[in-house]
Amino acid sequence: MVIAEVLQHTSPELFLSDLKARNKPGVLSELVDKLVAGSPNITKRDAVLQMLESREALGSTAVGPGVAFPHGRTLAVQRLTVLIARSRKGVDFDSVDGEPTHLFFVLIAPPQDSGHKYIKSLAALTEKLQDANLRKTLLAAEDFATFCAALRED
Amino acid sequence: MHPQLQKLVALQDIEQMIAETQDQGKELEGMGFSIAGLEALKEKATKLAGEIEVRNLNYYRRLTGRFGHAVVPVVDNLCTGCFANIPASFVSATNENKLQKCESCGRILYWP
Repeated sequence: MVIAEVLQHTSPELFLSDLKARNKPGVLSELVDKLVAGSPNITKRDAVLQMLESREALGSTAVGPGVAFPHGRTLAVQRLTVLIARSRKGVDFDSVDGEPTHLFFVLIAPPQDSGHKYIKSLAALTEKLQDANLRKTLLAAEDFATFCAALRED
Repeated sequence: MHPQLQKLVALQDIEQMIAETQDQGKELEGMGFSIAGLEALKEKATKLAGEIEVRNLNYYRRLTGRFGHAVVPVVDNLCTGCFANIPASFVSATNENKLQKCESCGRILYWP
């Protein structure tokens, strides 16, 4: 799956330019608030938050240098939804390398999705975000459009 | 939402996460994700199951064994498990305090 396909599941309403929260529970809460506000497809805030908290209990999703991919499936959504967020200061998200996390790609999928779009999207994003120059560009991007344009570049 | 339904939804989400981790653990680890907390997640599922009324949990287990998913979303007035029509009366306020089941397949209904 190419990044352009992943980006079809997000929108400017699902972009948080600079998170206010400064710790992991606060970030998860802020991310879910934005999901509910930005997607008419998501209304059950508590169900989504509970699923993401469970996923973090399995192991931190902050696996890339400075990047986290909170993700999972829940009955509370009807289609794959992708939210993108940044924290310019960085937050402690229990990252694998112990460094602050600046970029967040949240993927929420329904229990069943045809063609396993969710896992393929996750794989595409984790691979793409290995690029240190790209991460720097994304952190500096002015807005959602610039951010997505940088992500689409080969 | 009915509090028992809320717990059943959470349980189904966690159990699917566990199953997917067991099936696709290597793929997830290949992406860099740790699955070290799998046992802790199983314990969380057990604890959550303990908070669900026995008759509801037994019903959920029977449906899971039969269909894979016991709780299904209602979309466009259709049960997404069997695609039977769900009467509009099912979403009336008086029904918010009890579990709703599809009259055709028996799955537990959830309005996302």
